Amino acid sequence: MPLNAASSAVYIQNTAPGFISTPGRAPTSVTVHPVALFSILDHYLRRTDTQERVIGTLLGTRSDNGEIEVRSAFAVLHSETEEQVAVDMEYHRTMYELHHKVNPKEVIVGWYSTGSNLNTYSALIQNFYSQETAPHQAVHLAVNTGAQEGEQTGVKAFVGSPVGVFPKPENCVFVPIPCALRFNDSERNGLDLLTTTASAPNTSVSHPVNDLEVLERSLKSVSEMLDRVLSYVQSVLSGEVKGDAAVGRYLMDTLGSTTEDLEKGGFNSALQDTLMVSYLASLVRSQAEVSARLALVTPV
Amino acid sequence: MAAPSMAAALAASLPAPSAAPAPAAPTYEAIPASMSKVIDIEAEIPLTAVQVDGLVVTKIIKHSREAYGSTAHGILLGLDLDGTLEVSNSFALPSHASDDDDKSAKGVARYQAAMMRSLKEVQADDSIVGFYQAMTLGSFFNQTLIETQAIHQERLRHGGIVVVHDLSQTARGNAAFRAFRLTKAFFDAFKRNNFSTPSLISHRLTFSTILEEIPIKIRTSPLLSSFIETLTDATVRAPAGANPAAATSSAALPPSFDVLNLGTSSISRNLEHIIEAVDAYKTEEGNLGYLSRQIAREKARADAYVAKRKEENAARVAQGLAPLPEEDVSRLFKIPPEPSRLESMLLLGKIDAYAKSLEQTSGTGLVKMYGVKADSST
Repeated sequence: MPLNAASSAVYIQNTAPGFISTPGRAPTSVTVHPVALFSILDHYLRRTDTQERVIGTLLGTRSDNGEIEVRSAFAVLHSETEEQVAVDMEYHRTMYELHHKVNPKEVIVGWYSTGSNLNTYSALIQNFYSQETAPHQAVHLAVNTGAQEGEQTGVKAFVGSPVGVFPKPENCVFVPIPCALRFNDSERNGLDLLTTTASAPNTSVSHPVNDLEVLERSLKSVSEMLDRVLSYVQSVLSGEVKGDAAVGRYLMDTLGSTTEDLEKGGFNSALQDTLMVSYLASLVRSQAEVSARLALVTPV
Repeated sequence: MAAPSMAAALAASLPAPSAAPAPAAPTYEAIPASMSKVIDIEAEIPLTAVQVDGLVVTKIIKHSREAYGSTAHGILLGLDLDGTLEVSNSFALPSHASDDDDKSAKGVARYQAAMMRSLKEVQADDSIVGFYQAMTLGSFFNQTLIETQAIHQERLRHGGIVVVHDLSQTARGNAAFRAFRLTKAFFDAFKRNNFSTPSLISHRLTFSTILEEIPIKIRTSPLLSSFIETLTDATVRAPAGANPAAATSSAALPPSFDVLNLGTSSISRNLEHIIEAVDAYKTEEGNLGYLSRQIAREKARADAYVAKRKEENAARVAQGLAPLPEEDVSRLFKIPPEPSRLESMLLLGKIDAYAKSLEQTSGTGLVKMYGVKADSST
């Protein structure tokens, strides 16, 4: 970020709505879906030896309150040398059109790069993407993969602001904006699967797992949590630790509800229904099997 | 029907088997001794497992969820090595909602070709190893899937695989992926396009032998693993005695307990699906019955004609007259061909799959209910 102290007149453009010619609001926060993040990591893994970092396009949706949802990403070819930076715009356009066909709702919202250093080239690329996303502002997602020593894994989001007396494309202030990981329920469960995979010894697990196994795992973790709470409560009771009122209230809310209503509220009939459904399912399956076999009997 | 034309277009876009890229064996380099065992240019090592990358898992889940209602499908990319098919990337295909069959089929083929070209440029894997499809409640049997897979099996190295992803099971907390390919017997019958009863008998085909399942493994790359580790870090780090409230709130990826949800809302939908499938099966059986009755009727008429002619001839011979020529019966009576039982077989498979998923749901439901009951009785 070439914002040196020698420049006496720093002119940071205001990002407030109405001041510049952007309709809607300027991006206020960014949420990233795991798919986009994982695509970026995969792209980083597949870079060539000469590439310091990789860049690509972020696709997603904008909401009226200035929140940007990054839902997917694709890699873009680019080359950086001492003198110049080049982004394959043709490639970018083709890829965007292809993605657009599958998911018309997703539009270009910005770009990503790996590594957290922002330089002149970043400003130039930011300028290019601003043209792509016009009239909206482009966001820049800097993903630090943590592959280099001494660097922390993390994701940062920025919007660009022109800087200088006469705004030039290569000058830009990257203003950080909040960034969060967002997933919905089904993605959540997929992530759980990956989490168990990631912690497995050789980072691969066999699949598919039985529903009951998953259930067992959850029950175990609940029971562990209960143990943890129990030990905390006991240590509070014995006076080792000073009780936290907030925690107490949480516990009250969570554990205070009783299951006594269940007995009255037709719990047994629901249980019988479920049993019946289970029998029915087995019956249907055996019937289907019988029909399939019957089709193989030679007609006399 | 959209299916065959789309399948045909897919076929056109796939590389011919001879042109299939020989992945791990560049000829100009000496193959290291450690690798010589696992290199197979001719695809001779049979596939024993499928390994799916974390990226593909999230991509398929995202696509399936967004295309809820219409079936989501896309292409899997990767390589095979020593009997394990490594699926490292995937992309979605546009859903062909428009009824413009021919146009959309060509569009899909063009789309696929363009996407592959683009992916190659960024060093991503660009050899097709199969396709994926989303399903609900365990049912994925349909003609399109079978046809597409049949085309793949003919053209792709190792025949390609189909990975199915169950949306409803994922919603219940168990992200489920399964890999399949067509069995030899079914493929043989399919190639001859012969699903009459004798053919089914000779191939010993039932719905359970249409597809064979290949064990699937999920893998995350080390980079991805470390990233996920960072996300879940906060929960791991929380020591037993520390403030429990603070421990969970700081985690980016708190544990979820969807599995423990006692709701049984999906059961009624599942039952409805079963009823629908049974109805469809009933109709199909009715058609088959009608056709076979027609065949029987025509056959009986032909037989009666032949018998009558024989009788006449016998009478004429007895009278010393020259017998009438035996006429070609098949020309006089059109016996319709034996009906194909493929559709009814697929419907049975569907019923079975629905019932199976119902069995699982109710099974785990029972466990949960008894769990709750035990809890409340104490």
